[in-house]
Formats: sequence, structure tokens, C-alpha cells
Amino acid sequence: MTAPRTRYLWTALSAAILIAAWVGVTSGGLVSDLFLPGPGEVWSGFLELVQDGYKGRSLGEHIWDSLFRVLVGFMTGACAGTLLGLAMGRWRRLDAICAPFIEFLRPLPQLAYLVLLIVWFGIGETSKIMLLFLAALPVSAVAARDGVRNVPEARLRVARALGASEWQVFRHVILPSALAEIITGARLAIGIVYATLIAAEIIAGSTGIGWMILDAGRFLRSDYVFVGIIIIGLMGLALNALLVTLERRLVHWAGR
Amino acid sequence: MRSSPPPPSPGLSRRTLLRAGAAGALAAPWIGRAAAATPEVINIAYFVETKPTMIAKGLGWFADEAKAKINWTEAGSGAEINTAMAAGSVDIGLAIGSSPTAAGISQRLGYKLIGMVDNIGPAEEMTVRKSANIHTPADFKGKKVATPFGSTSHFRLLGFLKLNGLSQRDVTVLDMRPDAIVAAWERGDIDAAYVWSPAKSKLLANGGEVYRTYDKLDAAGYVIADLIVARSKFLDAYPDAVTGLLRAYGRALDMWQTEPQKAAEIVGKQAGVSAEVAMADLKEYDFVPLKQQLSSQWLGRPGKPGRFADVLKTTADFLVEQHSIRSAPGVIAFQKATDTVPLSQAVG
Repeated sequence: MTAPRTRYLWTALSAAILIAAWVGVTSGGLVSDLFLPGPGEVWSGFLELVQDGYKGRSLGEHIWDSLFRVLVGFMTGACAGTLLGLAMGRWRRLDAICAPFIEFLRPLPQLAYLVLLIVWFGIGETSKIMLLFLAALPVSAVAARDGVRNVPEARLRVARALGASEWQVFRHVILPSALAEIITGARLAIGIVYATLIAAEIIAGSTGIGWMILDAGRFLRSDYVFVGIIIIGLMGLALNALLVTLERRLVHWAGR
Repeated sequence: MRSSPPPPSPGLSRRTLLRAGAAGALAAPWIGRAAAATPEVINIAYFVETKPTMIAKGLGWFADEAKAKINWTEAGSGAEINTAMAAGSVDIGLAIGSSPTAAGISQRLGYKLIGMVDNIGPAEEMTVRKSANIHTPADFKGKKVATPFGSTSHFRLLGFLKLNGLSQRDVTVLDMRPDAIVAAWERGDIDAAYVWSPAKSKLLANGGEVYRTYDKLDAAGYVIADLIVARSKFLDAYPDAVTGLLRAYGRALDMWQTEPQKAAEIVGKQAGVSAEVAMADLKEYDFVPLKQQLSSQWLGRPGKPGRFADVLKTTADFLVEQHSIRSAPGVIAFQKATDTVPLSQAVG
């Protein structure tokens, strides 16, 4: 393993090279700013967005709208998926009933059923959050089910032999063992929800960072597109960091 | 106007020479530019719509007159045509709206305005739900209005809001594609929409009524039109082919003038609608005859730019105000980006 200090050094070096290349390519007039805006333009684009907002709404509102959609879609989808997955892991029959649908839904590109969602749920927040919900649900369900299945049979037998009730077995044996996989599933799910966000904001938008990127792209406002991408990327990093912290708190024993 | 005329190639055909001679008899300045080279293939981005362009496309007139194979690509929006132009993958943009064109010229995407398909007039208009009780501009407060963002309709809608002192907070403006507008209308999710047909006719047939805005907007400078643009490098290399394309469109316009029923049937077949629907749609547009496009009201003649450059300038300034584009050049840039030489040859 690389020592932490040299690791940071390498990270800093790669970032420096990337930024230098960016400055070099854009300041020399090698490419049009429509295709690749320079760092200065992206920065002034960012300042403009902070000051004037984008198309009638402040940058903060756009960020909050996207974050709200992601969080609600993820929370509801991951909770429902996890509960379903736990039940599927516990009762084989339920698994047989639900698994085909979950497996069908999981690899399905969300854009494929986007129009249906608009027709069924309208153009408001419901259809957007529904899309994110459906993106989060199958991954979480599969992770929770596998988590339950992978609990060693011996542990269950020991617990039962000690006189634990079914609820106690679930609460004190199954759940803690499956927790690591559930959280991994949640991290996967938030990645997918996040990737679906832009698709969700195509639905009759006019708010959200995803929509802002789409709309700015229409007029080749590459500076705004870059700002949007950077914001959405940082939001993703923050969300992931949050889940990693949660994972360390909840399942500090995992992997040891 | 163009910076470097291509050298006359040794392979000048007799026809080109004759045509160049005839044109030269009228006015000489552009005689040296007639090049005989014909492109192998012309990449045209177009919309499936109920317009005479579909006659020239369907009957193969574009290919005949340009003497080249044509590779047709359906575009979803003017913004898509702009992107494709910037990437150099499209040579001609057919019926691109005036607002994406104003944006494209401001951003120096390297194309020229060479002709018009139509003056949009009342063909794009606000449709309101009868039950929404919208009778004055103030009635729009708190209502949901949908329009495809970046389109000419969007431009008009924003102009309407601005003229009436309404902000995008008073009115919820939603970005939707025409088919989604129809679906949302049927669900009752939106109170009004600024869009074109066939979506517009569906709304009107489904509890909607026209809320007239176009006359006041046109008078206030929010004129919108559908245009023909050509990638500058393509235009420089193959002016004859471009002239041929315009001539083909002129033939289609003649047919619409002289045999409207037959024209509507062909257009309907091409666009996948009945002849009656095509006829109704066609009647909404003002298809400006090629000769009239050369007047000072529209594009003007070579060396004598018309007033349409001012429309593009106004449009571009408005887009800057909306933060859609970063900056807009002066009106001269729009005059320079209009090349009426092929059009005057196609007419002459």
C-alpha cells in the first residue's frame, strides 16, 4: 500500500496536470469556448449563476430541488426495497413471487418508461420522485435479500437453540449480519438514483441542476454546463461520503 | 461577402456557364463564384412537419435540383441543428426557427442564412383551457404554461410575459416537448401552452381556445420565422447545389400556390396526417414566396440587406437578456451572416 502522504501527492499531481492541460488548451485559442470553456469562463459563469440565478430561480433553489428529489426518491425507494428484500430473504415463497419483477425492473433503462410515468403521474414532483423510487428499489431489495440469505445457518441454529423467538432471531442475528450488505446496496442505489436524476428532470422541468445542464446545453452555454456538472459531481461526492460515514458508524465490524 | 471565392474549377459545365452568364447579365458581382463542383452527398437536417418543404423532399426535387444524393436526418429541435452544425455534421438546416438561428449566428457556429421557409405568424400561438378562465394577461398569474424551451414559441411566450410585466414567478413556465404537452393537457396538468400544430390543434380540439398574442408581439419586434441555413464551408464549396435546393423549394411553393389540394395530399402523406389536417396546418403559415424574401422587408438582396437582420438582432439581444447566450454581435454581423446570392440565382 502507498503511504498516505505520497498518495495525496499523486492526487495533487494528477489534478495539477489536468488543470494545466485545461488552461493550456483553452487559453491558446486551440478550441472554441463553445466546446470547452476555460477555467476563467467557468468561474465567471458560476459567479453569474450565484448572482442572477438561472431562468427565474436562484442557483440554491435549483440545487435544493435536485437534492430534495434525490433524497426523497432514494429514502423511499431504499426503505421499501430493503423491507421487501428482508421479507424475500426470510420467506422463500415471497421471493418466488417478487423476484422476477425485481430482476426485470433492475436493468431496465429508466428512460424507457419515462413517458408512461408522465401519463400516469402527471408532470409534477410525483412522476419525478416515482422514477427515482423505481431506480432505488430493485437494487436495495436484491442487496437486502442476499444479506439475509448469507447469514450462516449455524448462527441461526445457535440462537434458536438458546431459545430466541423468531423476532429476536431477526432483530439480533439476521439484521446485524445483513446490515453490511444493506448499506452496500444503499450506496449502489444512491449512485443509480443520482444517475437517473437528469432523466427525471427532463419531465416538464424548469427547476433542478439536471434540468439546468440540459437547458444550458441547448444553447451551447458550455460554461453553465460545466458549472452544473461540477456542482452535481460535488453533491454526489458529499452524498457518498455521508453514506460511508453512516456505514462506519452502523457496521464498524464489517470486513474485520 | 464571402472572404475567399473558390477558384473556378476546370470542370465548369456548360449549364453552369450559361447560368452564370445569365446571372451576370443582370448583375455582375458574384459571377466569379459559380463553381461547378457538385457534392457527393448533402446532409440535410429537417423536421417532419406539414410544410411545402415536404413536397420537395417527398418528390425528390431537392436531390434533382441540387444534383446530389441527400442524406436526410430528422432533427428534434433547432438546438440540435445548431449542435450538428457546430460539429460540421450537417450541411443544410431546413426550417430551423429564428431564435436558434439568432443564437447560432451570435455564437459563430459557421453557418449562413440563405432563405426562409415561412413567417410563423399565428401558426404558433397561445392556447388556453376554456375552463381556466384566462381572458387578460393578469389572468395568467398562478397558471401553468408549457412550451418547448429554446423554440420560437418559447421566445414568443417570454416576450408576452415581458410585454405584460409578468415574471417567471407569477407564471409557472414548464419546459415540455409538444407530445408531452398534449399528454399533460389531457391529464389537466397545464392551463395553457405556447406551441405549434399538430400539438396545438389537439389542444384546441380538447377544450382549448386561442388566446391571441401574435399580432401585438409581431408589432413589438418578436417576429418569428422558420429559416434555411447552410454551413459556410459547404456554401463556399458548392454554391450551385445550394441554389438548386432553394429552386426546389421554390417549385414546392409554386405547387402550394397553384394546386393547394394536391400539395396538401403530398404533404399529408409525408408527415403522416390526413390531407385535411395538412391543409388546415398549411393555411396557418405565411409561406413567403422566394421573390418576396428578397425584398427589404425580409432578407433583402445581395449587397442590400433587408430588415430581417434586425429581427435576428432583437432576438439575439433577448436571448442574452435571458442568459441563454453569452453575447450578441451588432446588426452588421447578422447582415453578413445572410447570404442571398443563391436565393437571387434561384429566383432569377
